[in-house]
Amino acid sequence: MTLSDYPEFVGLPTDSIDHDAVIESITTPATGAVCLFTGMVRGETQKEGHLPSTDYLEYEAYEPMALAKMRQVIGEIRQMFPLVQGIAIYQRIGKLDVGQNTVLIACSSGHRDQGCFEAARYGIDRLKEIVPVWKKEVGVDGATWVEGEYKPSIEDQA
Amino acid sequence: MEITVLLFATLKDLVGTNKLLLALRDNETTIGDVRSALIEQYPDVKDNLKIALASINREFAFPADIVNDGDEVAFFPPVSGGCHDT
Repeated sequence: MTLSDYPEFVGLPTDSIDHDAVIESITTPATGAVCLFTGMVRGETQKEGHLPSTDYLEYEAYEPMALAKMRQVIGEIRQMFPLVQGIAIYQRIGKLDVGQNTVLIACSSGHRDQGCFEAARYGIDRLKEIVPVWKKEVGVDGATWVEGEYKPSIEDQA
Repeated sequence: MEITVLLFATLKDLVGTNKLLLALRDNETTIGDVRSALIEQYPDVKDNLKIALASINREFAFPADIVNDGDEVAFFPPVSGGCHDT
């Protein structure tokens, strides 16, 4: 992992993520752009294998490994997008109701064409591959754990 | 030797606990051996255990990786965190 003087944050909060506070935390005097990806709990799904109607999600993490893997994602972003400045990755855990935010990836850079969009996109895609967090969909028709598809290989070790 | 095994998500619900202690032989015990020992102990969860991902001390581990006394081993399904777009 590259050592960086730029701000880096990871976390697994149970409370709502304060987007403005995160943006402020990764804004440096040299920052001109922040790209922020946020996800939320969707109430309606039309996809096979999923409950059509979700009341809430229950997120569970293997916390120490999840935090370590979030730091690994930050290291990968630093390698791929060297002009990115601050990086924040937060995944909420616990019971989350429809409409609530669940995840946040935010990256800052001096200008918008210096990788902040691509870095945030990479961050969410990578989080969904290697950060050990699972969600259970709970609705009127029952509850079901959602299982991902990605099978880690030795290249996914830090 | 004795190791701690952590279980998450579907596996935790099926086994009925998120943490158990497992006594194993001392030499050359692999993740594959740990998986077999769990399947023997929880035959009803065989299908899920067979396809579960594994970790040793909070890093991804693979069938031939050696487990040592006191290690923290975990088994879990492929991850599904992030947003709700699956």
